[in-house]
Amino acid sequence: MGEARGCPSSLCPLEPQAEPLCGPGRVCVPGEVGCRCGCDTAAMAVLLRRLGLARLGINNNSGCRGLYQIDAKVLSAGLKTYEIPPRYDDVIIPEKPKLKFLNKVPNYKKPRRWMKRLGDIRGPATRANTLTRGEYGIVALGGGYLHWGHFEMMRLTINRQMDPKTMFARWRVNAPYKPITRKGLGQRMGGGKGAIDHYVTPVKYGRIIVEFGGRCAFEEVEPFLSQVAKKLPFPAKAVSKKTLEEMLKEDEQKARNNQNPWTFERIATMNMLGIRKVLSPFDLKYHGKFFGKSRVPNRV
Amino acid sequence: MAALCGRLLSCGGWFPPHQVVRHGSKAVTRHRKPMHILRQKLLAVTEYIPPKPAIPERCIKAPKKEVQEPSGFEKLLRREVEVTFNENKMITVFQNNSIKSEDLKLLRHRLLKHDIRMKFFPNQILRSYLGNTKYRNLLPLFIGRNIIIVSKEPKAKELLQTLRNTTQISLLGACIEDVLFSRQGVVNYSRLPGMQVVRGEIVSGLTLMTSQTCQLLQSGPVHLAALLEQYLKQQSEAATGLKGTESLEQKEIQGSPAS
Repeated sequence: MGEARGCPSSLCPLEPQAEPLCGPGRVCVPGEVGCRCGCDTAAMAVLLRRLGLARLGINNNSGCRGLYQIDAKVLSAGLKTYEIPPRYDDVIIPEKPKLKFLNKVPNYKKPRRWMKRLGDIRGPATRANTLTRGEYGIVALGGGYLHWGHFEMMRLTINRQMDPKTMFARWRVNAPYKPITRKGLGQRMGGGKGAIDHYVTPVKYGRIIVEFGGRCAFEEVEPFLSQVAKKLPFPAKAVSKKTLEEMLKEDEQKARNNQNPWTFERIATMNMLGIRKVLSPFDLKYHGKFFGKSRVPNRV
Repeated sequence: MAALCGRLLSCGGWFPPHQVVRHGSKAVTRHRKPMHILRQKLLAVTEYIPPKPAIPERCIKAPKKEVQEPSGFEKLLRREVEVTFNENKMITVFQNNSIKSEDLKLLRHRLLKHDIRMKFFPNQILRSYLGNTKYRNLLPLFIGRNIIIVSKEPKAKELLQTLRNTTQISLLGACIEDVLFSRQGVVNYSRLPGMQVVRGEIVSGLTLMTSQTCQLLQSGPVHLAALLEQYLKQQSEAATGLKGTESLEQKEIQGSPAS
């Protein structure tokens, strides 16, 4: 008894036809009336074969896929999925969003002359080194003094570039308070300490100078913040919370992954080879990461 | 320093073997201070060495195939596709060859009069959905630009008539009541008579023989009756005396085929 086999054209996945027209071993002629299956959108299949994109997959191993296998990648336009834009619902723009004016001279009742205290430049900053109020900011990557000219430059540039309705900026350094003395031109050594010339703010490595926040993305803010950062007397850069975190994490990771068995810390604390002759207690504390007012890069 | 030297000399002239004369700039300078050579060497020795595994990670780690979850919009479209394919009995796929939008609008209007809808779905979603259902053999149709025209009732004739004059849309294939058709197949399908007509035909064909039984059975006696009537008529005519021998002859001729 001849079993009623289905049409070999796998375009009809239905129950096998009882009609003898579509028997085994016979490829259906397109659009035959007796055959109920829509054999092979034949024109398209033939076209694809001619173009070399499809081939007769008779001896294929992949189950009953079909007589025609398309080899070329089907290029079809996909559906674009849009990223959800960030929401700034919790951001409050304060009154007076712009950077406030800082005085050139502090309000000392009796302005005393100070010692040089260069240690206020040396080493890493312990206070004001994280972004608290805003999302973005300028971080100092070296030590230095900021005087009133720098403050004015920063204030004017940032106030000009920012949009007070959607952004705000805040100082994270004090107005100049440290007096710097100068002797008159052409004076010889001696004769006491000079008179106060101007005031400065000392800044250490890692200190945040200006904080920026608001309903804005880092990409909007970064151009003018980095423009300001370039003009500062010490190396600085514009950062966001994420980038700052990444910097710290990278440092930590380096310290963990270091394959060098010899570390500065180890050699200095054990005073191997009498190296403490050329090192100072400062180096013992900061393990060679700082030299003078600058940070030595790539120090683990 | 001078006072110290003086005191030492007075002690007996002993100088410490190493005398470090440290002077020069302070720790924090404006210029870049030159580092002591030993410090430089120390920094060189204690540089960071990154970890280097024998087999780099990228040779072992299998590349992660990011499975992107379908967005809300995609899910919505998928649901619509499902509903369309479940509800409608006739699903036709047309190739969209840059038809003008105004022409498309008119076409849409004309089709709506017969309750035939035009649907547009992204190929990506269609292919992902249809690959797993019984319509997987329709997949080769959804490659280029296409329009899906669906209707709840299989109205192939109206569809083809409406689309007869539009050259920019061409029929690729159809799935009518779970049966796949090519273009010619749809044309043939549209030429089929309606269900009622077909049923009527079948019934009439089957009952053809039985309807004739009555007639067959009655044919003999009916014929006989007719002949006898004629005979009676002729008899009456003979009685009146008109055409006596001719009618007898006629009766004989009629009588022989009847017997």
